Amino acid sequence: MTRALALALLLVAPLVPLSQQRIDRLAGAFRAQEEVLYLWSGEHVKRLVPGFEGLAADIYWLRTVQYFGGQRRYESGKSFELLRPLIDITTTLDPRLEIAYRYGAIFLSEPPPFGAGRPKEGVAVMEKGVEALPDAWRLRQELGFFHFLFLDDAATASRILLEAAEIPGAAFWLRTLAADLLAKDGDRAASRRMWTQMFEQAEEGIIRDNARVRLEILDSLDLADAVARAVSDFHARHARRPARLEELARAGLWRGPLVDAAGVPLGYDVETGRVSIAQSSPLWRPQ
Amino acid sequence: MGGGLSRTLAVAANTFRETVRERVLYNLLFFAMLMTLGGLLLGHLSIRQDEKILKDIGLAAMDLFGTLIAVFIGTGLVSKEIERRSLYPLLAKPLTRGEFFLGKFAGLATTLLVNLSAMLAGLLLTLGVTGRGVDAALLTAVYPTFLGLLLVVAFAMLFSTLTSSTLAAVLTVGVVVVGRFADVIRGMREVLPGVPQQLVQALFSVVPNLANFDFKNRVAYGEAVSGDVLAWVTVYAAAWTALVLGLGLASFRSKDFQ
Amino acid sequence: MSEAARETVLVTRGLSKSYRTGHIVQGRRPALEDLDLTLLRGEILGYVGPNGSGKTTTLKLITGLLRPDRGDATVLGEPLASRAWRSRAGYLPENPYLYDYLTPSEYLDYVGRLFGLAREKRRARSRELLALVGLEASAGLPMRRFSKGMLQRVGLAQALVNDPELLFLDEPMSGLDPIGRRLVRDLILGLRKAGKTVLFSTHILSDAETLCDRVAVLRAGRLVRVGSLSELLSLHVTHMEVLAAGVASNAPGLEAALHVEPVGERLRLEVEERALGRVVYAIEAARGRVLSVQPVRRTLEDYFFEEMGAAAAGERAGPSRVGEWGEG
Repeated sequence: MTRALALALLLVAPLVPLSQQRIDRLAGAFRAQEEVLYLWSGEHVKRLVPGFEGLAADIYWLRTVQYFGGQRRYESGKSFELLRPLIDITTTLDPRLEIAYRYGAIFLSEPPPFGAGRPKEGVAVMEKGVEALPDAWRLRQELGFFHFLFLDDAATASRILLEAAEIPGAAFWLRTLAADLLAKDGDRAASRRMWTQMFEQAEEGIIRDNARVRLEILDSLDLADAVARAVSDFHARHARRPARLEELARAGLWRGPLVDAAGVPLGYDVETGRVSIAQSSPLWRPQ
Repeated sequence: MGGGLSRTLAVAANTFRETVRERVLYNLLFFAMLMTLGGLLLGHLSIRQDEKILKDIGLAAMDLFGTLIAVFIGTGLVSKEIERRSLYPLLAKPLTRGEFFLGKFAGLATTLLVNLSAMLAGLLLTLGVTGRGVDAALLTAVYPTFLGLLLVVAFAMLFSTLTSSTLAAVLTVGVVVVGRFADVIRGMREVLPGVPQQLVQALFSVVPNLANFDFKNRVAYGEAVSGDVLAWVTVYAAAWTALVLGLGLASFRSKDFQ
Repeated sequence: MSEAARETVLVTRGLSKSYRTGHIVQGRRPALEDLDLTLLRGEILGYVGPNGSGKTTTLKLITGLLRPDRGDATVLGEPLASRAWRSRAGYLPENPYLYDYLTPSEYLDYVGRLFGLAREKRRARSRELLALVGLEASAGLPMRRFSKGMLQRVGLAQALVNDPELLFLDEPMSGLDPIGRRLVRDLILGLRKAGKTVLFSTHILSDAETLCDRVAVLRAGRLVRVGSLSELLSLHVTHMEVLAAGVASNAPGLEAALHVEPVGERLRLEVEERALGRVVYAIEAARGRVLSVQPVRRTLEDYFFEEMGAAAAGERAGPSRVGEWGEG
C-alpha cells in the first residue's frame, strides 16, 4: 500500500465512530428496524423463516430487550407501543421462551411510567405462556399472582394457584396461599408473599429489580400504616393532629425515620390524618 | 489530474453502459416495478394505512433489489475483468490501476442511482395516481439507502480483488447480513452480560452498521429524516466507503496478473 | 547504420520473475531470469521460444501486468513504472478478450478516451483503423458475434489507436486465417516502413523469418541468443544442392556426395561445400550437365531443433510439432 493511501485511510478512520456517535444522539441509539407490525404478525414472520424459527426468536427477543432499554437498568420513561407485538412475535416463533412471557407480562401490567399500564394484556401474555408451557409451574403461579396483584381478582387467582400447586415441583405453600387469598383481609401479606416469591425466583436484572421495588413499596406502606396509627394516637391525646410528622417524634410517639424505602419523606395529609407514600417518591404507584 | 479524471470517467461511463446492457438489470427493474404494483393490491386488503404499506413495499424493494445489484454486479466488476483478461489491454494504456478501480465503482454507483431513481419515480407515480399525496419525504429514506448500497458495492469490490467472484459474492452477502444486525451486536451485553465490553466494541467496529441507513419505517409513517442526521449518515458512509475502497484499491494495485 | 548510432527504445536489465507453485508446500518456479534485452528504434524484433520459456511473462512485465522480482527496464527513455511512455506505446495481449457487449467502434472509442483523444479524432481514428484491419463492415456489430480472428484484428486495432512509436504484440497471428495473416504481416511491414518499432512474440517461425530484423531466443526463462537472422543462420550453410542431368547415379566420383537421389530423369545430389568441385567435375567427366547449384541454408526451424531439441529431453516441454511451438 502506498504511504499516501495508508495515511489517507488513517485520517478517515476516526470519522466512523465520530459520525456513529452523532447519529446515535440525533436519531436514537436503537433504531432497530421497527417492523411493519400490523402486517407482520407472529405467524407471518414464522412462515418467512422456515427452519430458522429459534434464531429468529432470539433475534426478536434481543430486539425486544434492546427496544425496552435493556435488562440491566431499571428505569422509567420508556415507550411501550411495540412491546406487545414484539413479545407476540417472539413467543410465536419460540413458544418455549419462558422469559419472554414473564417479561412481557410484567411490563405490560406495571403502571406507567414503569410499564404500559395494561394489566389485561399482561395477563393475556401470561395466559399464552401457560397454554404453551403447561408444565411450567412458575408461569402458572405468576399468572395467578397477576390476577391478584394487577386485576384485583382474588377468586381467579386462588383457582389458578391451586392448579399450579398440582404441577410437580410446585412450591408446597401454594395451596395455603390460595386459601388465604379467599379470606378478605391479608391482602398485603399475600402480596408480599407473591412478590417475595418472584423476587427469589428471578435472576439478577430488571425483573428482580421490579420485584424488589414492589417489596419496598409494601414495606413503605406498612411503615405508613404504622405512622398513621401514631398520628391517631397523637390525635387522641392532643385533640388535634400533628402539623408535621416530626411532631410525633417530639411527642415520643414515634422513633425512627419517617422516610419510605427510597428515602423520600412520607406524605401526610393533616386534614384526614392519612399517611402515604409521597407522590414525588419513585415508589409511588397509582391506586 | 485532468487526464486522470477524464480516464476515470471513461471507465465509469463504460461500466455504466455495461450494466445497462446486461440483461439481468432489466429483469430486476421489472421485478421491482411488479412489486410496487403489487402494493396497490395489498392496499385494498388492509383496512388502515394502505399508503404506509405502499411506501414500505416500495422502499423495501429499493433496498432489496439495490442490494442484489450491488452484491452480484459489484463482485463481477473487477473479478470478471480479471477472469476474462479483458483488463489486460487496458492496463497497458496510460490508465492507472487506481483510475480503473475507482472508475468501475463510479460506474456502478451511477447505475444504482439511476435504478433507485426509476423505482422512486415509480413509487411516487403510484402514490400520485392512486390519489395519495406525493411525499417528498420519501427522498430522505431513499438517499440513505443509496449510501448504504454504495458501501456494499465497496465491499463487493474489495472481496472480488481477493478471491473469485462467487466467493466474493458470498462474503459480501455475509457482510450485509451481519451489518444489518450490527446494532444487535452492540446491544449484546444486555442479553449476555458475561460478554466482555471490549469484545463487543471490537466486533461492532469491524462491521458496518447498516441500520444507520435504514429510515424506511420512520419515513413511511410520514416523519422525514432531519438534515443533520442525513449529514452525519453521509459522513459515516463516506468514511466507511473510503476505508473499504482504499483497502480494495491497495489489494488491486498489488496484484500480479499471471 | 551501426547499432550504436540507433536509439534504444527499450532496455531491460536483469528483469526477473518467478511464480509461486503448489498449494500446501509453496515453491517458486522461475519464469524469467535476468533478462537483458535491447530494442532499437525502427527494428522488428522476433521473440521466440518453446512453451513456458517466458515470452508472455516478459511482455506482461513490460506492460505492468506483473511486477518484476528483480531488475528494471527503460522504455522510450522513461522508467518502466512510469505511465508517461504508455501514451506512445501499444500492446496486443495473447488471445485478447474484449468486451462482448460493445461494438468495435465503441471499443476503439473507449480506448481513445483513455488516451485523451478528442471525440472527432477518436471517430476518425476508429474508422481508419477498422479499415486497416479489414473490419469496416462489422464496425457496428457487438463483438459477442465475432470469430477469434475478428477479435484478434480488433485487438490489433486497439493497439494502434494512439499511433504508437513502439508496439508489443503477443502472438499477433494467432487465430487468423491465411488472409488475416497476410494482412497482419503487411501491417507490420508497413509499421516498420513508418519508422515504428515492433516486438512480437510468436511460435510461427516462418513469420519470424520473414518479418524480423533480429530474433531473440528464450529457453526456460533465459535469453540464449539474440541476433539478426543472418548472424544466427549464416554460418550454417549445411550443404549444397546440385541438380544434374544426363548422368547415372552410380557414376564414378559421385560417392563424394552426401546423398544422391534420382528425380525423374534428373539427379538430385546433396553435396558438402568442400566436395562440390569434385562432384561437379565427376558429373562433367560422365558427360552429364549441371543444371543448378544452390546453397541450402539452415532454417530457423533447423536452428531451433538443434539448439533446443538436444536439451529438450531434459526439459519440461520441447517442440511438439515440426516448425511450431505452443504458447510460451
